[in-house]
Amino acid sequence: MTKTPPYLNKGDTIGIICPSGFMPMDTAHTCVRTLQAWGYQVKTGSTMESHSGNYFSGTDKERLDDLQRMMDDDNINAILCARGGYGFGRIIDQVDFSSFKKKPKWIIGFSDITVLHSHLYANYKIASMHAPMAAAFNADEHHNIYIESLQKAIAGGKARYECSPHAFNRQGKAVGELVGGNLTLIAHLTGTPSDIKTKGKILFLEDVGEYLYNIDRMLYQLKRAGMLDKLAALIVGGFTDSKDTERPFGKTVYEIIHDIVKDYDYPVCFNFPVSHEKENYAMKIGMEYKLKVETEKVILKEQPDNKKAKGYRR
Amino acid sequence: MNRKNFLSSIVVTTTAVPFIGTGKQHLFKDNPIIPSYLKPGDIIGITCPAGYTTKEEILPSILQMESWGFNIKIGNTIGKRVFTFGGTDAERTNDLQQMLDDQSIKAIMCARGGYGSVRIIDNLDFTNFVSHPKWLIGFSDITVLHCHLNRNYGIASIHSKMCNSFSDNWNKAEPLQAETILSIRQALTGEKMSYIIPAVIFNRQGNADGELIGGNLKTIETLAGTRSDIQTAGKIFFVEDTGEYLYSIDRMFLNLKRTGKLSDLKALVIGGFKIKPDDPGDEFGRTLYEIVLEKVKEYSYPVCFDFPVGHQRNNYAFKCGVRHRLEMNDTSATLKEI
Repeated sequence: MTKTPPYLNKGDTIGIICPSGFMPMDTAHTCVRTLQAWGYQVKTGSTMESHSGNYFSGTDKERLDDLQRMMDDDNINAILCARGGYGFGRIIDQVDFSSFKKKPKWIIGFSDITVLHSHLYANYKIASMHAPMAAAFNADEHHNIYIESLQKAIAGGKARYECSPHAFNRQGKAVGELVGGNLTLIAHLTGTPSDIKTKGKILFLEDVGEYLYNIDRMLYQLKRAGMLDKLAALIVGGFTDSKDTERPFGKTVYEIIHDIVKDYDYPVCFNFPVSHEKENYAMKIGMEYKLKVETEKVILKEQPDNKKAKGYRR
Repeated sequence: MNRKNFLSSIVVTTTAVPFIGTGKQHLFKDNPIIPSYLKPGDIIGITCPAGYTTKEEILPSILQMESWGFNIKIGNTIGKRVFTFGGTDAERTNDLQQMLDDQSIKAIMCARGGYGSVRIIDNLDFTNFVSHPKWLIGFSDITVLHCHLNRNYGIASIHSKMCNSFSDNWNKAEPLQAETILSIRQALTGEKMSYIIPAVIFNRQGNADGELIGGNLKTIETLAGTRSDIQTAGKIFFVEDTGEYLYSIDRMFLNLKRTGKLSDLKALVIGGFKIKPDDPGDEFGRTLYEIVLEKVKEYSYPVCFDFPVGHQRNNYAFKCGVRHRLEMNDTSATLKEI
């Protein structure tokens, strides 16, 4: 049974940190103001005011300490990672989860933050939130349905997402805990202590800027590692800005994925709004969802809380 | 025992089980299987398990290997092309399968790398090959085959340049190119391999004996968790890569570390790394040397940098699965087959 961190009440505090790549504080202003407008207090971590001259938002130690403080501070009710990039893998084995696992809180983010989502689920079965980060609030219309899905999710709302059918969809219904995230990270974590078990789960994948052959290779890794065998369902999100080699690969990303799941019979849906673009719904990793892939539409619906999970609610 | 050690010990235990359970695979820790070395008149097969090539492109390699006294059998994937691949998955599987099974073929050279070996590896039947092992030759994407053979059958193979690296005009080949191509012949005919290179200031000195294992870093990372995933404990482990950003190299070394591949090495050998320059403003801020040394700082085995193996001119033939000795001092590093 997945442990569900407490949902947020008005007046609660959201901590914002940069656990991976550098981001200028300016980029987070709209995000901070929006969270405040939603009725939350915001506390920015030291990595948000970094003057780092390189790729990272701080040294490993600075990023680790900022995260650790936010995780252990009882006055922080949830943590939003301002951006991904690269770097969570460098600190994940140094994070002390002893206090957090007793008092879990929602950690929000995607892309490189997939490392933390997978690690939390694989080792502690604690739910976390795959959702838009700070820069997504800067889009012209930050009151879009994807940002709103995050607002609703952190307050304990139950999601019901719909999207259009895709020609490659394989119809069917499935219920299972939701796991997944960025394909590059999910593949990279295979065989490590942060490797997720996917049997009976609804797996979702998205990626950005990868070569087609590399996407194929990563999917073969998942397949050969047994991670695609016994899924309840597969949700394929956006694979934006994919690149090709001089000698063309000859298939689109969706054709690659369509081919690789031919051996299985679970439902599969393509072009689900989870991606590095604006289309990026909040998805609660570790929570139970029902996926319906039908001819006219696809529906992903969060299942009601079970009684044990309610024990964690305030 | 902390959580990390606890988890890694579980990994070791569970991955060891299939070796005992199936009976097909055996414990070969100290006894790698060395295929027979080649004699004049022996046949070398050429096939494309990954990227495509043409007869014209491999002609220099054919002429060269014939001049060494070998006969060449050209597989039917040579000249085939399906986009980036040397034929469909089925065509590439069948071509390699025929060469694995044909007992008149004594070695198989992969024409080139590219991408695609992992798409066919699980469709290959190694039964005949295991009873009559032969040398498989190649690198880069062919790391899939090296790792698979090592992990599952303990059969040695040759990590070296492939058909696309032979000189069009042997008489005009630069000495380094000639020497690296000749190292394939040395490896195939059973000469003991020996490499001596100048010491690099970042080297961590020491001596080590162990089986040589390794290949392309990205390929090794993408085999993690699969049945081709290598076990590096007690071995001399080498890696090389090309066209990757420093951050990606950092992440791959973290993968090696977190999958337990750096903990019990006899030595770590770093080959060539052609690094993709950082985008302006996104400078990673660490060199390759720093990235590697940081990952191995809690271990004490020797680390040798700038070894002549990789996507570069000085890419010598390495016998994977064969025992070697690494000796390092202030001025040089020597790797010798023992």
